[in-house]
Amino acid sequence: MNSLISFFVLLFVSLVCAISSSGNRLLVVLEDVAEKQAYSKFLGDLEGRGFQINYETPKSESLSLFHLGEKSYDHVLFLPTKSRALGPNLAPKILLDFINANGNILLALSASQPTSTSIVSLLLELDIHLPPDRQGLVVDHFNYDGLASPEKHDVLLLPPPGPLRPDVKDFFSPASANDELVAFPNGVGQTLGSGALLAPIMRAPSTAYSYNPKEQTEAIDDLFASGAQLSLVSTLQARNSARLTVLGSAEMLTDKWFDAKVKKVGEKKEVSTLNREFAKLVSGWTFKETGVLRVNWIEHHLNEAGASNASNPKIYRIKNDVTYSISLSEYSWDKYIPFTVLESDDLQLEFSMLSPFHRLKLNPTTSSEDSTTYSVSFKLPDQHGIFNFKVNYKRPFYSNVEEKNTVSVRHFAHDEFPRSYVISGAWPWLMGIGATVTGWLAFCALWLYSKPTTKAEESKKTQ
Amino acid sequence: MRFLSSFVAPFLLLAAGAAQAASSWGFDNAKLTVSPKKAAASTKEKVVREFSDKLPILETPVAFSSSDSLKIFLTAKEDGKGKRPHQAFLILREPTLGLEAPFPLIVKDNGMATVEIKHSDLPVQLAIAAGPLRAFLVLASFGSSEGLYKPIFDLEVKLDQAATPIVYQKPLRYGKLAEIHHIFKEGDDSPPMVISIVFMLTILGAYPGLVFAWINFGANLSHLSEAARVAGIAHITFFGSVVAMEVFFYLYYQSWNLFQVLPFIGLLGILIFLSGTNALGEVQRRRLAGER
Repeated sequence: MNSLISFFVLLFVSLVCAISSSGNRLLVVLEDVAEKQAYSKFLGDLEGRGFQINYETPKSESLSLFHLGEKSYDHVLFLPTKSRALGPNLAPKILLDFINANGNILLALSASQPTSTSIVSLLLELDIHLPPDRQGLVVDHFNYDGLASPEKHDVLLLPPPGPLRPDVKDFFSPASANDELVAFPNGVGQTLGSGALLAPIMRAPSTAYSYNPKEQTEAIDDLFASGAQLSLVSTLQARNSARLTVLGSAEMLTDKWFDAKVKKVGEKKEVSTLNREFAKLVSGWTFKETGVLRVNWIEHHLNEAGASNASNPKIYRIKNDVTYSISLSEYSWDKYIPFTVLESDDLQLEFSMLSPFHRLKLNPTTSSEDSTTYSVSFKLPDQHGIFNFKVNYKRPFYSNVEEKNTVSVRHFAHDEFPRSYVISGAWPWLMGIGATVTGWLAFCALWLYSKPTTKAEESKKTQ
Repeated sequence: MRFLSSFVAPFLLLAAGAAQAASSWGFDNAKLTVSPKKAAASTKEKVVREFSDKLPILETPVAFSSSDSLKIFLTAKEDGKGKRPHQAFLILREPTLGLEAPFPLIVKDNGMATVEIKHSDLPVQLAIAAGPLRAFLVLASFGSSEGLYKPIFDLEVKLDQAATPIVYQKPLRYGKLAEIHHIFKEGDDSPPMVISIVFMLTILGAYPGLVFAWINFGANLSHLSEAARVAGIAHITFFGSVVAMEVFFYLYYQSWNLFQVLPFIGLLGILIFLSGTNALGEVQRRRLAGER
């Protein structure tokens, strides 16, 4: 009885606290466990959202991301460490295995110490490039904080980033009531490769550039990157929807910058920073609290008058009218809400054999409390074969939706072709048949019942 | 876009700075030259343009062909004194996409700076740009001096028509794809209705012709009363069964399948045989009596 009660209590507790859609075990890797005081507000926010946090240093021997083949943590947060490498328990290959096992990683870098080689190797594997010699500092002589770094110009002040493209939803712009800015102090810029899995959240302004402060030369010898090619916060979403975010400045997560007052050079007034909300949005996306899609059900049926509309038949006929519906939910912080496609974007259905015969836009039809149903009606092509209903919705920052349903499409049966009486070219033939039939019957009647007339009688008559 | 908001502010800064004469970066003795690479062999002349940090952007764009090399010379000055800034870039910006490419200037300690750009230095997206590229100069350094971020000229990139064209393949980005609607095969068409009607009328017209010819040959139904008197039931059954056979053939055409039709015409066949012996026997009697 006791165990039953405790089971229900635990179930209730876990339901209430299950905030991330993919588990709440978070590992924080930092140089010294005492460092976590500097990030107390950020870590406190994470705990408030339901994460169970473990703190480990890279040298710790009991640290292991996997146990008996399963992940022992769902998410990892790396804060800057001074050591040259992260140790054998966090080798780049293990981190890649963690991503392949659907684990999410949030990496915070700092310009004060060179990034560890394990991290650099991991990022190189994912086509994210860090400055040479693993050390760089982003400065901007036009967008810096006049209060905190009037000489060094290494605290960048940036407005909320806005959407990546017009057809991509903006997950990372904190609401800024009166021109508040995001502070990016002492950060490392990255350059991204040209793959489709990489997407920057925040890019540097045109006048910003990266240089190595350790080099004593007065001017820049070899420019790593500048302007919008320098990405300050970058993301990778793997094909299994595991997420990795590289945050160029770990200091933007510290308590000092969560509530700072900053004054951009050239501006008159001081504004506060948006770092707390921005950190919440970035960590929420990385740890799968936002931007997660779920397919609830898929249904297709025949849509013709007088025919059976059973759900999901295995076989259709060519040129059938078919309706396809899919129900999608989006996870938003702590519950599933109906998923709404942006106006400038389309959710598309492909009806394809080897290549798509139809690619059609799915329109929202009904909406419930936690899901929206999208459907489309169309006519099957006049090619018979094995076809797939494919929904392949991959967008930056949304988890990947790939659904495939296979159906057979048969040709017309012998009695499903149009009859000859509807074919106007056949009418003369039908008329001929009718004429033959009636002529035959008339001939039978005449043959049975007529009396022959002789020529003699005829000539008698005429004479 | 963020790019616009981040360089509007420096423009305002510049205006404020010019009015206030605070410590700021500028440049002097600036000129750009576009010269063909093989100067002796080519007939084109060197183009020399001057620009300044006080004047607005040059009005006419600078032409830049694939065999040319663009050189910029200037002296960077902080508060009028030649000095070496930490950041001295020439940024070429493609206006439609917003892509920018920086070209760092090589600056000496006394502020004299040069940079040389050839076509091969341009990234492919800028080399194939349709419109002119805008060139910005950024001079800035640490400390409290205000930096300079100013557009100085427009650059028109002319590609060599004879050379192999640059093919730029845009990288894959996830997004919506073009809609595809299957084009159905055209169904079989019937010829125009007129042709069908004309031939139907032709057949229909043959029918009265047949009846007319029969009547001319003396067709009649005179023996009907005699046949009905002698073997009426047999005749009705026989002739009715022949008609019924045609009706069954019509039903087979319309909706019945073979297995529905066969029993009926089997029965009908028996009926025709039995009634036919009598009916045709009566006809034989008339023939033997000489009436046929």
